[in-house]
Amino acid sequence: MTTEPRWKRARGWMDLRGRREGGLAFLLMRLTGIGLVIYLFLHLYVLRLLAQGPEAWDAFIATAKSPLFLMLDGILILGLLYHAFNGVRVTLLGLGIGVPLQARLFWGVMVLTLLLTGVAVYAIFALTG
Amino acid sequence: MWIWQAFTGLLLLVLLALHMIFNHFVVEGGLRTYRDVVAYLSHPLVFAWEIALLIVVTAHALMGVRAILLDLGIRPATDRWLKRGLTLLALGIIGYGMWLSWLIRSRGL
Amino acid sequence: MPTWQLRLLRGRPGNPPRLQTYRVELPAEAYLIDAVEKIWAEQDRDLLFRHACHHASCGACGVRVNGRERLMCITPLREFAPDRPIVVEPLRHFPWLGDLLVDVSPMMRRMMAVGFAVIRRDELTADRPLPEGVEKATRFEDCIECGLCLSACPVMAADEAYLGPATLAAIERMLAEPRGADRGRLLALADDPHGVWRCHSAMECTAVCPSNVDPAAAIGRLRRYLLAEKLRRWLGGG
Repeated sequence: MTTEPRWKRARGWMDLRGRREGGLAFLLMRLTGIGLVIYLFLHLYVLRLLAQGPEAWDAFIATAKSPLFLMLDGILILGLLYHAFNGVRVTLLGLGIGVPLQARLFWGVMVLTLLLTGVAVYAIFALTG
Repeated sequence: MWIWQAFTGLLLLVLLALHMIFNHFVVEGGLRTYRDVVAYLSHPLVFAWEIALLIVVTAHALMGVRAILLDLGIRPATDRWLKRGLTLLALGIIGYGMWLSWLIRSRGL
Repeated sequence: MPTWQLRLLRGRPGNPPRLQTYRVELPAEAYLIDAVEKIWAEQDRDLLFRHACHHASCGACGVRVNGRERLMCITPLREFAPDRPIVVEPLRHFPWLGDLLVDVSPMMRRMMAVGFAVIRRDELTADRPLPEGVEKATRFEDCIECGLCLSACPVMAADEAYLGPATLAAIERMLAEPRGADRGRLLALADDPHGVWRCHSAMECTAVCPSNVDPAAAIGRLRRYLLAEKLRRWLGGG
């Protein structure tokens, strides 16, 4: 138990047994955070195509409009919105503001995230045809 | 520290929101072609905004990485090396971003 | 009288633990601690577990019941259905000594390092007139040092250096009502990467606390206090 290596003990973050909204919120925050860091590096890496000129960049933009890509964008937005909204929640809670409301705030974050992701996905498909 | 993570996060709400709007709701098709990007970066305010976003998002992301590692209980000595390493990485990322933005911008001027 | 099914974690360090099923007959008004005691008394004298006051003021009998941190003495059997097994496991994030028993000395050492006092000003009866001859009303601190919060906290899983909700809440109490404590030392203790800044507001500590300590709120207050201090020093200097 405490004799396991640290990274194995970190699985404790993911043990949702017996945990409620707050524990789930933390786990999702960590997962979306890791996902977003990976995305950031990918995004900055892809931007180097701009330096290679119009042919390279515009070819990339063409693939960026493929359904697979757009679906991945949808997942990105889902993760980003959750991380952002729960970030506001965690900032408030971390300063001792709204602690009795923490579970309800989590559900509010989930509703807001799903709602705005829906709007964004709709916008993506409307804009790209 | 935690307060900087929260502060950069709140800044990102604004920086990212407008970044998304500028990049996806202004051009037809929602994605900028090469010429669109060059024209976009030629506006000084846009250029400043994107650089500001780059700095803040890099800080927030790398502070987040450090937070995860601190949660894994790294020793203070390891933390000192980590801070140096992440600072260098941040400077590298921001340098790369500034170089790239300046390069593209200069192609339009 | 109903028959209850309990699945208790059994084992000793070094061997993989397993869940063992027991059946025990008790009235529904009895508590989980009665069931575990009866199992120990009548079926399995090898069973390791901790208990003392049986009324939620000593903090000894903390375990996980169906995954959730609870005190056995105030977990009524009638919360459960007799045909569904009740899974009882030891607390997380403490060294495991065997069966349901964990070594709580890491927590006790930290509370002693804080110098956590036991008696506090009684704010609950502050608006009432005191009886003749009584100078002030006092009561016990809420925290019974049961360790449920430390078990529920996800940060405690991998970071041994993290002070944890109980310790941080104790520091906040000693700053709010010093009782001779060295405030500078306590602030330095809290203002550490593995102190108050390691908390990620998972809120599980407050959710499981059986004694109204609300560590999550205490940590928030502690942070506000530390940030105000830093701002004051930055603006005012010294």
